[in-house]
Amino acid sequence: MNNQEKYNDDLLRKYISPEKIEKAPEGFTSRVMTHIQIETIPSAGTGGSKKKNLVPVISAVVTILLIAAAFLIPGSESDSLTSEVLDLIKSTKFSLPEIDLSSIFRLNLPSVLIYVFIGILLLTAFDRALYEIFHREK
Amino acid sequence: MNYKGDIYYIEQILAGNSNSFSYVVERHKNKAYNLAFRICGNHEEAEEIAQDSFLKAYRSLKSFKMKSSFATWLYRIVYNTAISHVRIKKKRVLSLEDFPADATDFIGNNTSEEEAEKEYMSSVVNFALQKITEEERGLISLYYYEEMNTEEISDVTGISKSNIKVKLFRARQKMLEIIEKVEMKKFIYYE
Repeated sequence: MNNQEKYNDDLLRKYISPEKIEKAPEGFTSRVMTHIQIETIPSAGTGGSKKKNLVPVISAVVTILLIAAAFLIPGSESDSLTSEVLDLIKSTKFSLPEIDLSSIFRLNLPSVLIYVFIGILLLTAFDRALYEIFHREK
Repeated sequence: MNYKGDIYYIEQILAGNSNSFSYVVERHKNKAYNLAFRICGNHEEAEEIAQDSFLKAYRSLKSFKMKSSFATWLYRIVYNTAISHVRIKKKRVLSLEDFPADATDFIGNNTSEEEAEKEYMSSVVNFALQKITEEERGLISLYYYEEMNTEEISDVTGISKSNIKVKLFRARQKMLEIIEKVEMKKFIYYE
């Protein structure tokens, strides 16, 4: 410190007294601790959010499995596993209902639309079911 | 209360006893609040900054390396929080007219002349502090109020020791010029 600095330093020390510190207001500690208690309680909610984060993971896994299945299961020739699966599907005798839209609405709509509507309804129900499972904590 | 040392309580907190943090807050609250107040110049904001800093410290306690002092680590959080807070708020620039010329404004019902003079001096310093930059305010507070040396200030602020010396020199000069102007105004008022 040169003379000028020393002089300025001494002069400023005349004004600033370290003992004159501003004290934290009453109840400061309890207010901080309240915030901390609030932060530590919702740790159960973290599990919920982790569960919610599983949705895209499950979707991705299912999609990958379906794509892999599409590549791995041969279209024409069938091995034992494929034929068993196909036989199982056939044995359910599942078929989409044949509804003549034009007779209901008197409109000449392509018949595929009914399957689209049914698909939308099924997906909505599926989405609702998933929502109920993953938002139960709320 | 017999305070067992920061490290003892930090270990307790890390072991899952969050209530031990109250001892740490109780121990450091005044210094943290004072630093925040000197940088922002407002009691409500200082409390907000100090509270926010303690919460940040609690959340990142796991990252605290016990090799350095907890107080230095906490000051670093308070300093950075206060500086960013002030930069976001961008306060109105005070003019000399904002400072009361009459020293009797600082005399309360039960205050002696000596106490009133101290109050006045303290207000002059606070006024001068608000006229310099937030970084300079932080350095002046750490150096004069917390009585830290340039090495400790460097640990808190992350500014090099040589740079701190230069910045402190400039801040001192600025503050003394402002104090001189305020004193001159008071002198003219009484003349």
